[in-house]
Amino acid sequence: MSFDDKKHIRGQVLALKSFKKSRQLNCFSDCSTTVSLAFRRCGANMTLAKQTLELWRGTMKEVGGKFGTGVLSYFKFLKWLLMFNIFSFLVNFGFITIPQLIYHPTPDIPAGVSFKGLEILTGAGYFSHTVMYYGGYSNKTQGTGGRSEYNMQLAYFFTVAAYMVLCGAALIYSMASSFRKKYVLADSGLGGAWQLLCSWDFSVTNEKAVRQRKNNLRIQLKESLSEKVQVALLPLTERLKHYGVFLGTWLLSTGMALGCGASVYFLSSSGSLLEEAATLLLPFVVSLINLVVPLFYSLFKKIEHYSNPRMQVYAIIVRNVILKMSILGILCYYWMKDVANTFSCWESIVGQALYRLVIMDFLFIMLGSFFGEFLSNVIGTKCIQSLGVPEFDVARNVLDLIYAQTLAWIGIYFSPLLPVIQIIKFFILFYLKKVSLTQNCQPPRRAGRAAQMQTIFIAILFFPSFVGALSMVAYTVWTLPPSDKCGPFRGLNTTFSAIQIWMDDLNRVDAFQWTVWIYQHVIRSEIFYFLISLIILVFIYIFRQITQGRQLLITLLRQQIVNVSSGELSGLTCLVHQSCCVRSGCVYVMMLLKCWNNIFS
Amino acid sequence: MGTTASQLRKDLLSEYQVVMHVFFRAHKRFSELLSKEDRNVPTPRVPMEKVLSLPELKSNPFRKRICHVFSTSDMKDGSLTFEDFLDLLSAFSDSATLEIKSHYAFRIFDFDDDGTLDGGDLEKLVNCLTGETDDTRLTTEEMRQLISNILEESDIDKDGTVNLSEFQHVISRSPDFVRSVQI
Repeated sequence: MSFDDKKHIRGQVLALKSFKKSRQLNCFSDCSTTVSLAFRRCGANMTLAKQTLELWRGTMKEVGGKFGTGVLSYFKFLKWLLMFNIFSFLVNFGFITIPQLIYHPTPDIPAGVSFKGLEILTGAGYFSHTVMYYGGYSNKTQGTGGRSEYNMQLAYFFTVAAYMVLCGAALIYSMASSFRKKYVLADSGLGGAWQLLCSWDFSVTNEKAVRQRKNNLRIQLKESLSEKVQVALLPLTERLKHYGVFLGTWLLSTGMALGCGASVYFLSSSGSLLEEAATLLLPFVVSLINLVVPLFYSLFKKIEHYSNPRMQVYAIIVRNVILKMSILGILCYYWMKDVANTFSCWESIVGQALYRLVIMDFLFIMLGSFFGEFLSNVIGTKCIQSLGVPEFDVARNVLDLIYAQTLAWIGIYFSPLLPVIQIIKFFILFYLKKVSLTQNCQPPRRAGRAAQMQTIFIAILFFPSFVGALSMVAYTVWTLPPSDKCGPFRGLNTTFSAIQIWMDDLNRVDAFQWTVWIYQHVIRSEIFYFLISLIILVFIYIFRQITQGRQLLITLLRQQIVNVSSGELSGLTCLVHQSCCVRSGCVYVMMLLKCWNNIFS
Repeated sequence: MGTTASQLRKDLLSEYQVVMHVFFRAHKRFSELLSKEDRNVPTPRVPMEKVLSLPELKSNPFRKRICHVFSTSDMKDGSLTFEDFLDLLSAFSDSATLEIKSHYAFRIFDFDDDGTLDGGDLEKLVNCLTGETDDTRLTTEEMRQLISNILEESDIDKDGTVNLSEFQHVISRSPDFVRSVQI
């Protein structure tokens, strides 16, 4: 549009505005304009203030500009997990720790135990009698001097339950929205030449970076071209050989994971690990396995030949997840079966074990950063020139984050203040990784697929990680008897019976009969959950049928577009209408219009 | 005359006041590009070479196309007035919608300005993004294969060119697009 056209249109708009305004009273219009201006300016200032206060915004823009959206997704993930932990800390501290500190300000530490430096690493000793762990909380906080009674049992239970439910809801919501963005909108085309071309980042301003990106893009375009050609070319014997190799490597990797799990189990049940320094052996071995075995897995890359480099990344991710989760699963099994029956204050012992795992994991992440990035850079630039500057391995780092967060989620019930350690850990980790990234790594050679990887990472965070932690806490709360000598649930059969007692108390009061009714007929009845599951399954089936119908319609519409543009009308229009009628017209005609709109708007 | 004239000026002023801080920053950068004589002209134009010296555009492979697309000059020389400069900044800001960005991206990629992206446009696009020298270009065979892949993916009505609707359809499937088209 030329400048004169714009000026003409603007003149018309202003004339209309001034005509409308001149009809009203002058001072009224003045007032209303000033007020609305003030509001808009206030809104703009608040957005600006919010942006400056937002944590790490400048750093993340800098990282994204230099290294691209793939590496940026790691830092965004880290920040998101940090928010979970901050929320958990606020909730736990506010509802559990503060009442405990108000009513019992000094922890009752037995004689002879004092603070030595080793507690920071082991979490035992002095800390085991403080509010850090489950054992430091009393079972009923009595009112003293006119203060009302605070039911610590209910508070503890409901705080943990509410936090887990909110976390689950947040995870499901972000999983669903990223799934929708990535998979439902994407077509199933391989390679995606347009995706590569449209992924050119306009915000890159460094001359050298631009040249590097052009180079990378060229390599990726060539690779995607050769990929498309190669898929059809393998003869049967070659394919059988490949499948044999895949089977072998998968069996080997799963076997290694199970073997490591078994060795961890034997190590932990070999007893005599209760002296202060020896307790560090188990977390050390666990973290060592988590560091070394994935390196073995990456050796498999040399033997296997995946047709799609993306499948290779998925395979590595799945193997690492199996390894980490099986080790955690074995440890949880050991804690639930053996520790719960052997020790007197077993929840605190489990809390301490988790604390040690968290600290050791942090030390090993720092070590991993040192070896993986700093040393690789030194070796790649000074000693073996062919290796070059290392790239930032987003997948490995995100899996480390997921593992760390799993530990924190399991530990919520046993150690309410574990989120504090996690917050400190993530804070330091952010700056450490940023420095390591800028000093040692180069921007990644393959562009993109960041959005797709994001979906997978959130899915892994939900499915083995959160669901596993939730099921372990749920099992503890539902079935295991709490220890009698310490903690808020001492003396009860199971933790959940605190709710039962509360419901019995409420039953005696007439005003709360409805709560008791909901508890008995909704929460504790199996029919309710059965009906809910059935209804959800029915809805899923209906929506799936609708989706399939729409896909069929889209194919037919595409065919119709091709025919219309090449001049043929009659036959296919009839076909489209017929299929619409066959599938019970009305609904599908509406969807035809909707699909048309979707394609052309 | 007094009241209507002051009311008009106030309206103009109120319109600009809302985006005052952005306006002044943009105007400052624009006037830095002007030469001394041009500053007193009523609607000054910055020649294309000066615009290309901006740090954001200096290394961008599409810098010349960007100037041509946003320029409203009759001589088609890529010179920008302040209005054009504001259009450019707003189209590449992070608050511009997907429709605006895809509209301008289409016009930038349309090298021959005929309203569709045909084989020639796509070839120039790929060459822009892979490199200008002979050893960094794709071979003719690879280029042909790539262009046929692109058309297969995005040409819905099979007429051999990608029009604006098809382009926007392809873009809507790429969730990283909005973030990457920013300066």
